Amino acid sequence: MASPSSLIERLNRGVTRRNARWSFVNAQPFGAALELRRFHLGNGLTVVTLVDRSAPTVSYHTWFRVGSRHERPGKTGLAHLFEHLMFNETKSRGRGEFDRLMERAGAEVNAATWTDWTYYYENAPKNALPLLIELEADRMSNLVLREPQVRSEKEVVANERKLRVEDDIEGRALEHLYATAFRRHPYRWPTIGWMKDIRGFTVEDCRRFYRAHYAPNNATVVVAGDFNERQALSLIQERYGHLSPARQPDTKPHSKEPAQRSERVFCMTAPTPTDKVLIGYHAPPFADPHTPALSIANEVLFGGRSSRLHRLLCLDEELALSVRAAISPFVDPGLFEIWISLREGKRRKDAIALLDREVARLAVDGPTDIELEKAINQIELSFLHGMETAGGRAEQIGFYETVVGSGTAFDRLDAYRRVTPDQVKRGADKYLRRSRRTRIEISETAA
Amino acid sequence: MTRATKAKILVESSDVLPLVDVEIAFRVGSLQDPIGKEGLSQLASQLMRRGPHGISADAFEDRLANLGARLTVDTAMRSTRIRATALRRNLEPLLELVADLIWRPAMRARDFAKLRRRAQAALLARLDDDQTLGAIHLREKLFAGHPYGRSTSGSADSLRRIRLQDVKRFYASYLEKDAFIIGMSGDISVSEAKALARDHFPKRTRTMNGKRDVPATHIPRGRHIVIVDKPERTQTQLYIGTLGARTHDRNLFPLIVSNTAFGGTFTGPLMQEVRAVRGWSYGAYSRLMHSDQRDAWYMWSAPSAEYSADCAELQLELLDRWVDKGLAKASLKFAQQYLINSHCFDRDTPSKRLESRLDIELLGVPRRYVERHDELVAQVTRKQANDATRARISPRDLVMVVVATARDVENAFEKLPGVKSVEVVPYRKP
Repeated sequence: MASPSSLIERLNRGVTRRNARWSFVNAQPFGAALELRRFHLGNGLTVVTLVDRSAPTVSYHTWFRVGSRHERPGKTGLAHLFEHLMFNETKSRGRGEFDRLMERAGAEVNAATWTDWTYYYENAPKNALPLLIELEADRMSNLVLREPQVRSEKEVVANERKLRVEDDIEGRALEHLYATAFRRHPYRWPTIGWMKDIRGFTVEDCRRFYRAHYAPNNATVVVAGDFNERQALSLIQERYGHLSPARQPDTKPHSKEPAQRSERVFCMTAPTPTDKVLIGYHAPPFADPHTPALSIANEVLFGGRSSRLHRLLCLDEELALSVRAAISPFVDPGLFEIWISLREGKRRKDAIALLDREVARLAVDGPTDIELEKAINQIELSFLHGMETAGGRAEQIGFYETVVGSGTAFDRLDAYRRVTPDQVKRGADKYLRRSRRTRIEISETAA
Repeated sequence: MTRATKAKILVESSDVLPLVDVEIAFRVGSLQDPIGKEGLSQLASQLMRRGPHGISADAFEDRLANLGARLTVDTAMRSTRIRATALRRNLEPLLELVADLIWRPAMRARDFAKLRRRAQAALLARLDDDQTLGAIHLREKLFAGHPYGRSTSGSADSLRRIRLQDVKRFYASYLEKDAFIIGMSGDISVSEAKALARDHFPKRTRTMNGKRDVPATHIPRGRHIVIVDKPERTQTQLYIGTLGARTHDRNLFPLIVSNTAFGGTFTGPLMQEVRAVRGWSYGAYSRLMHSDQRDAWYMWSAPSAEYSADCAELQLELLDRWVDKGLAKASLKFAQQYLINSHCFDRDTPSKRLESRLDIELLGVPRRYVERHDELVAQVTRKQANDATRARISPRDLVMVVVATARDVENAFEKLPGVKSVEVVPYRKP
């Protein structure tokens, strides 16, 4: 690959528009064999490249720094609805043309929205890259928003909500968990939005949202896979260089969530043969220096068949069929979520008592050296699995650029390796306290 | 046939990541389950998974985790696959554990009792997932009385009937002596893989478990509806299915192309009419399955209860149109381009390339399907695609499964054209 300075010099030759001029930010190793390079276009678009020729595919991700946290009460779910609308017509492409062109090229196309971001991706044969760049640049600024599309997409989203939340026990429980655990922060409403809000969106709501958040200076493009870097940057310059930055959307910090001082409990009923419990402890942000130690605590307690809680609840005592946990990977403090699916006739309070006992033991004694080594090995395995395809690598890069703002997933792996038993102990003691948690209890009939 | 033989080894190398996947694949699956003891093959492989003699199940799990390894067993109708993934640096100790597990599984009574209780609990847990519930009922009704309609996981009754002796006998008859195949993919060379396999899986006397004869599948005449009654449903899971294809059908590729054009892409008529035009379901697609005998073809969608029957009627109209009128030339060409261009994602990782090769060895998938895929797709003519659709997909003989609150949908579904029977079953059927 060409050196960044000569590459930039070549690309900027004869380009007078400020918005279209490249600057090089930095390069960083990505694992043992690859290099990630960051560039900025004059209009604020960040572009990250990772060339890897192990398979004849390319992945193109566009991450926007907008998610459900940027909404307001009464208009929840707009970021997610917008994700759907982005597949509709533009000023230059008719309805359905985006999907037709992508599918004809053999591209896998999809998108996702969560609290802090929305991203769009295409995984495609390598020769399709010019098409991906053209169509993504087009919909960043030329989307057409009209009544019929908005109406039909609202109906699709309403159905998605029924599928994933209203008729889904875990989806509904998660909604209750965040609505109960958070009282001020926007994380308290669901990313898919409340049904009443989904039904109420207007075309004007969508247009305003588009103008505020869909602009090059609010986005990061990641290109990973088998491609020629100079040609890709040149095409991006040609397709995005004429776009103007938007006035930066509101970046004021969100309402700080007041500290939770006592346990909160919400009981819900559902047609299910077995009880379940969903628990959320307030946890640090993803980028917080305490989070790696808490992730190790998660692995020791809940990570796989040899973890303490799996062994205790699922194998030894046979109280539960499954138990798992995760820390929400959010920009602001989220939750350490635990899901326990009990066996028929088993009592929730027995499972919770054992959970409390094991959490307290970890907070007092910490993990053993073997447990720590196991946890790090398991995390490394999961991490490497996520890196197998160009799409997996692009997703990791886009996530770190958007949520952490610097570094890569490999830095995170190093951070896990530096965690000590004492840090795990302190993390469990500080964050996994009963007073910081919210419990959703699920049964077939009201308790 | 019994003879001393080396295990066959397939290798796909790639040094991009320091990971190795190992797969030990047996040509044995739930089709070997005796009637009344469904779930036996799955219990047998899961009991093996609890570890070898001389080490407790807990200690075995600790050793796996400590190696940064994962081990799963997957039982299907025609195969059992033991899959292990490890960090490259720990591959050798992992292979030792896996080999030990295959040659000397502990099969302890205590582990068996726990495992059987767990399998029974897992059956109950399936009732929480409406989409899974619909899929299970579709196969049960579509293949009633045929081995393809039996669940790999068994039923509460069949699991109760299985004894440890049954499991041990199953292992001795099928797994211990089967000529399994070893696959390795990832950060390992062919010569390294062969040497490791030779060390850990030496030549043994094995039985070549040949192809089992499975009777032909038949579908009941007419359109039959099963409503899986579950309370408090705001939307429904809707499956509409009939018989699909045989792996060795001469018209399999024309049918694959035709089905892709109808319901295999986002821009096909099924997804467009149901989702894009009406917004009735988050998704809608059709799937063609193939096996030794004709497997299933089905459509899936998840419409609101209020218009679920309307959605079913629309899908039936689309199905009629597809079978009667066939594909337009442009639709055929589009599906061919899609299948050829996206084929790179079936082989973009070493483990996917290995899976394709294992399918050839294990399931009898013709080698040309993998090696000449693009050519076979490109050769399909419009006439072949339309003839294959008419020959294989019957819009008259269908099973419709709706997971819904029955009282909200029953009347509307009864009125659908050509319906011969409507059956309401509780979601927690005894």
